[in-house]
Amino acid sequence: MATKKKSAVEATTEANENAIALHETEGLSQGQIIRRRFFRHKPAVISLIALVFITLFVYSASGIHLGTAKHPITIPGWWPHSMTEIQDSVFCKGSIGCPGIAHPFGQDPIGHDYFALVMRGAEQSIMVMLVVGFIGGLLGTVIGAVSGYFRGWVDAVLMRFTDFIITIPSIIIGAVIGFKFGNLGVVALAVYLGFFSWTGLARLVRGEFLTLREREFVDAARVAGASNVRIIFKHILPNAMGVIIVSVTLMLAGAILLETALSYIGFGVQSPDVSLGTLISNYQDSFTISPWLFYWPGVLIISIALCVNFIGDGLRDAFDPRQRRRISRKDLLRATFAKRK
Amino acid sequence: MLAYIGRRLGIVLLILFGSSFIVYNLEAYSGDPLAELRVSSAKNKEFLMQQLTKQLELNVPPPIRYFHWLQGVLGIFTGHADLGKTRDGLYVANEIAAAIPITIRLVLGATVLAILLGITVGVITAIRQYSRLDYTMTFVSFLMFSLPIFWVAVLLKQYMAIEFNNFLGNGNITGPWILGASIIAGIILAGFISGSRKRVLIVFAIGAAGTAVLLTLANVTHWILKPGIGIVGVGLLSIGIAIGMTSIIAGIDNRKVLFASLTVALAAIVLYFPVMALWSAKGMNVLLFVAPTLGLIVIAVIAALVFVKVDRGAAIRTTVLTAVFAGFFLLIEKLYKVWGVYIQADGINLRPIPTIGEISVRLSVHNFWIDLMDALVHVMLPTIALTLISFAGYVRYSRASLLEVMNMDYIRTARAKGLSERVVIVRHALRNAMIPLTTLMAFDFAGVIGGAIITESVFNWHGMGTLFRAAISNQDLNLLMGVFAITSFMAVMANLVADLLYSALDPRIRVGK
Amino acid sequence: MTISQDVILKVENYNVEFWVEGEFYPAAIDMNYEVKAGQVLAIVGESGSGKSSSSMGLMGLLASNARTSGSVKVKGTEMLGTNSATLRKFRGKEVAYIFQEPMTALNPVYTVGFQIIETIRTHFNVGPTEARKRAIELLTLVEIPNPEKSIDKYPHQLSGGQRQRAMIAQALACDPALLVADEPTTALDVTVQAEIIQLMRDLKDKLNSAVLLITHDMGVVADLADDILVMKDGKTVEKGTADQIFNRPQHPYTQQLLAAVPKLGFAAARTLEATATAPVLKLENLVIEYPKRGRIPAFTAVKDFNLEIMPGEIVGLVGESGSGKTTVGRAAIGLLPVKSGSIQVVGQEIAGASQKQLRSIRRNTGIVFQDPASSLNPRLPIGESIGEPILLAGVAKGAELDRMVEDLLASVELPRSYRNRYPHELSGGQRQRVGIARALALAPDLLIADEPTSALDVSVQARFLELLLDLQDKLKFACLFISHDLAVVDILSHRIAVMQNGVLVEQGPRDQILRNPQHAYTQRLIEAVPVPDPALQKAKREARRS
Repeated sequence: MATKKKSAVEATTEANENAIALHETEGLSQGQIIRRRFFRHKPAVISLIALVFITLFVYSASGIHLGTAKHPITIPGWWPHSMTEIQDSVFCKGSIGCPGIAHPFGQDPIGHDYFALVMRGAEQSIMVMLVVGFIGGLLGTVIGAVSGYFRGWVDAVLMRFTDFIITIPSIIIGAVIGFKFGNLGVVALAVYLGFFSWTGLARLVRGEFLTLREREFVDAARVAGASNVRIIFKHILPNAMGVIIVSVTLMLAGAILLETALSYIGFGVQSPDVSLGTLISNYQDSFTISPWLFYWPGVLIISIALCVNFIGDGLRDAFDPRQRRRISRKDLLRATFAKRK
Repeated sequence: MLAYIGRRLGIVLLILFGSSFIVYNLEAYSGDPLAELRVSSAKNKEFLMQQLTKQLELNVPPPIRYFHWLQGVLGIFTGHADLGKTRDGLYVANEIAAAIPITIRLVLGATVLAILLGITVGVITAIRQYSRLDYTMTFVSFLMFSLPIFWVAVLLKQYMAIEFNNFLGNGNITGPWILGASIIAGIILAGFISGSRKRVLIVFAIGAAGTAVLLTLANVTHWILKPGIGIVGVGLLSIGIAIGMTSIIAGIDNRKVLFASLTVALAAIVLYFPVMALWSAKGMNVLLFVAPTLGLIVIAVIAALVFVKVDRGAAIRTTVLTAVFAGFFLLIEKLYKVWGVYIQADGINLRPIPTIGEISVRLSVHNFWIDLMDALVHVMLPTIALTLISFAGYVRYSRASLLEVMNMDYIRTARAKGLSERVVIVRHALRNAMIPLTTLMAFDFAGVIGGAIITESVFNWHGMGTLFRAAISNQDLNLLMGVFAITSFMAVMANLVADLLYSALDPRIRVGK
Repeated sequence: MTISQDVILKVENYNVEFWVEGEFYPAAIDMNYEVKAGQVLAIVGESGSGKSSSSMGLMGLLASNARTSGSVKVKGTEMLGTNSATLRKFRGKEVAYIFQEPMTALNPVYTVGFQIIETIRTHFNVGPTEARKRAIELLTLVEIPNPEKSIDKYPHQLSGGQRQRAMIAQALACDPALLVADEPTTALDVTVQAEIIQLMRDLKDKLNSAVLLITHDMGVVADLADDILVMKDGKTVEKGTADQIFNRPQHPYTQQLLAAVPKLGFAAARTLEATATAPVLKLENLVIEYPKRGRIPAFTAVKDFNLEIMPGEIVGLVGESGSGKTTVGRAAIGLLPVKSGSIQVVGQEIAGASQKQLRSIRRNTGIVFQDPASSLNPRLPIGESIGEPILLAGVAKGAELDRMVEDLLASVELPRSYRNRYPHELSGGQRQRVGIARALALAPDLLIADEPTSALDVSVQARFLELLLDLQDKLKFACLFISHDLAVVDILSHRIAVMQNGVLVEQGPRDQILRNPQHAYTQRLIEAVPVPDPALQKAKREARRS
């Protein structure tokens, strides 16, 4: 290749190479791009705001309660009535304790303020959700990563172990655990539940690691002298983050539904602790007389789970927009008739 | 192939050993069956405690006790399985054997319904991506994912059961309900149509008006108390199904297949009165129950073979499906007829939709149809509740799977070959899209078992879930292990079946080639 | 030569646009051409030129966000904007497509026979037995071994070449008047490619079909095309007969394109000053085996391999897929374990070395990978990727590291500011240059280049090879250049080694191998490479026939 041709080749190829229209990703890191894509997903953004609002509201109203029944650690909230104080309930249209200004969620038959009860239940459920998500996420990531990266017998052993745990339907193990350890406090229950909810994530992470470790940049890093630890943490893990985050989010939604279900059948949160599930279980028969006792816990569960699910969907779209958005029929018609020259 | 199954079964057994061992010890170590007795003030406390200890072998450490239990379980290979006794002295094996059919009854309908409905809706929304229907269904399925089943069940009990029973009292659909139902029906129908605003509004209007008319007619004729669609209804539905199946499977211009299916529909019409008479006979039993449908299937196969000389496969599929549906319609008709009798029966007293139990305990009339009606009515609400859980998952999964497949190169090749869009979707896309669904079915099955525990609690069914709850509350180790062993076994087998199904559908993963 | 001169395809004022995020982007602009029966029109261009999109759009096979306008007439019938019934009548019957990657273009769950029969029975009213007979005829026509058995095979059970033949059989099922072949041989080995081109030529003559060939490979074009249309960025840059385009290109872009295509046997002379020092890389009696995994038995990828590379020498390692050349490259840098034999890099033994030893040995080596999409960590700015070897070797860090990285970027002719850019912002060619920068970060004695240009456009490839030659000239590193493309190897290497099925069949000085190959396989390989010169190709064809 003679040097005199270089400049001509140079000119065309430079133009060729920059012909890729990447306006929207100019100068942005991967993380920033993902954030942008997430904020374009309206339901997810709305859900994020809603969820943050609900959490802040619940915790600020109800306060934070940790520790066991014997050694409670409490930070009080702004709601004037606690869940244990009893006030006379008001008679109203065929039942007692209807919602009113003093008690916006009404009162239960004994006279407790129901808003306080529901907030307390929500507090416990959110806490369980977060703890389960954290522990499950951590365990799932670690096990999946080690399994997928090192393969061989490590993989075989860990996967058999995962299969063990999978064959036990989560509600069964949850019930066994809940019944035994329910009175050790909600956090303990959550920790134990977390120890059994990581299996789906582990499988996904393992899959990701198996694929990613075959990528050429991993080989390049190895040749550059990277140790296994560096490769796992700096090279593979950041690229698997998408799958992990989405999975953990969905795990959160499953966790709250599992915990409330367990509490409903009596094997989750035990009294005197309150959970949205126990509330529903207690008041399901008074549904016709005092419907507010039944509706509010359910509404709260649904809202939280729905928000988490939408956020998860938004995250999934942000990390992996598989199809370039195909235009809707409406837009196609609009565009076709607009640009006709 | 057999070697593969054998190997998998071996691994399955090992896993079951391991997990049952863990659960056994977990339960044994963390509970004290003697706790109640310890604090009791009974005079023969010591004696009772000793008795209990002997009965439950409490002086043997749990790991060893496990092997005693295991011995009993392994007796299944010699024909004498011994799962031990419950704390009340009943045989665990018997209890479980009685409970399994009940749980299966509970779970089966929901699973099948969820799969069929879920896949259908998923496929439709994938084909109509980004349409109004798609967005609506996406939102609805998210909502369903987030519903706590126990809460929904209570709502169902109230509105579908209690209110419905109340409504049956006077058999009149009130004005607001007619209005509401018409609007909803109109919206649903309009959702399926795409196109200009005018077209959508027209469809909505027709749908709403039609529904309103139908409901008013129903009122006037007191249809609710004595329902039935008659031979006309059965006939129209069968013909509709014949045309529908033909257009999906074989293509509406395939006259021969159309004629064959219509023959089946015709047969259903002709056989209407004979079948109704047959089913009213005294000696009604299961055989007579399936006989008409089987007969229709035979007619279907013959019709397909007679009318169609080539491509018999598609023809037979179409006609047989038509036959199955036609038999189903006849069944619905018969049930309608029985409904009137059922409601009036002693023990039901015009409140047919039950909220608890698997059967009506106080029912005094018993014959095949009344019993069947009773069972169906009892399983209705739990099925709706359980279906809600799984349905959404299938919709999302099948939608995602089909969308992914539609982007594949071979779909473009199929179009380039000149195949119609219908063939491209049904023959090329669906086949590939359904493969990953088998894995979902396995997971879902495990989930449904878990959901059944809640549902049995809400609706008071006495199946495996109830046993399980009793086992935990009473610290009944043997019962718990028995339930656990069976459910784990079923879950694992479901996994194995799913894997086999996967390899059967995907030639790239054929095992033991 | 041609029996009929009917115009089969007539394209006028043809435009293709894609709707992305609210705007329409043009993919093909104002195309005009026609193809007659028995004639081959080749549309050439690099990636992004719009050649594929325009051809898919002819029969409405584009995604739903595409819009076409203008006129496309097949045998006089307008295809654009017509109803779907007409379109379907023509698709598969008058116009048939052959796609690039047969593994994904054939439905994996149906046998090839089923898919061929389906085409036949969609357009003709024949029964299954007759259709099957015709399918076997077609498979025989495309020279698939054992047609009666192959008809019931699934696509994944056939080899790449056989799959492509099956795809061609499917396309020919209804005797189409027009064949549209979209990069039909790009995914195939060179020898297989030569056979498929031969097959297509014979079939075209036999059936007198018009052929629209879309490709970026000028060698294939020289072998097959009667007329050529050159596209760039959607526009038609030049149009003419093969002779005109190859020998008297008018447009500057066409001229550059042709200049950039490597021509086998025309490279400048390469000499190496012989120094009597020790070899940089010495592979002795190398045997590499992939161990038994589950039920897949152990597979010997490389056996009895012997090769030496002297300092400053470039050795081209050629072979087709499955020859083991990539395996050798990976083993030479310690990424694969060897079963027996020795690998010595700058005198130190790699085989059986500990991790620590390996790390120190690797400081003398660098590797450039094939796939620009996956050779850089998408989460790291490229400065970090380039600087990683330097950082991990403890040579520099902080500001000094940044400076070194910028120097490296400059040496591969990328702007220094790119240090903070991310891989997805760079083109394929730019990413490959980053790959070189990373490989040369520690000024190694040995560079392993594993098919670095296979995924690049022709002009980008030319630029890349120029750069590599310049760098090698300046830094005097030894290089093991692995490739399946003999023409590229021709430009770079001092010596050539040829591999087949894990065995080294021949090695020697470049000119000797190319002009006087001894081994039969090498001869076949050289013979199969299409040269971008129609007169030469024709001569080769005649020679083959006699």
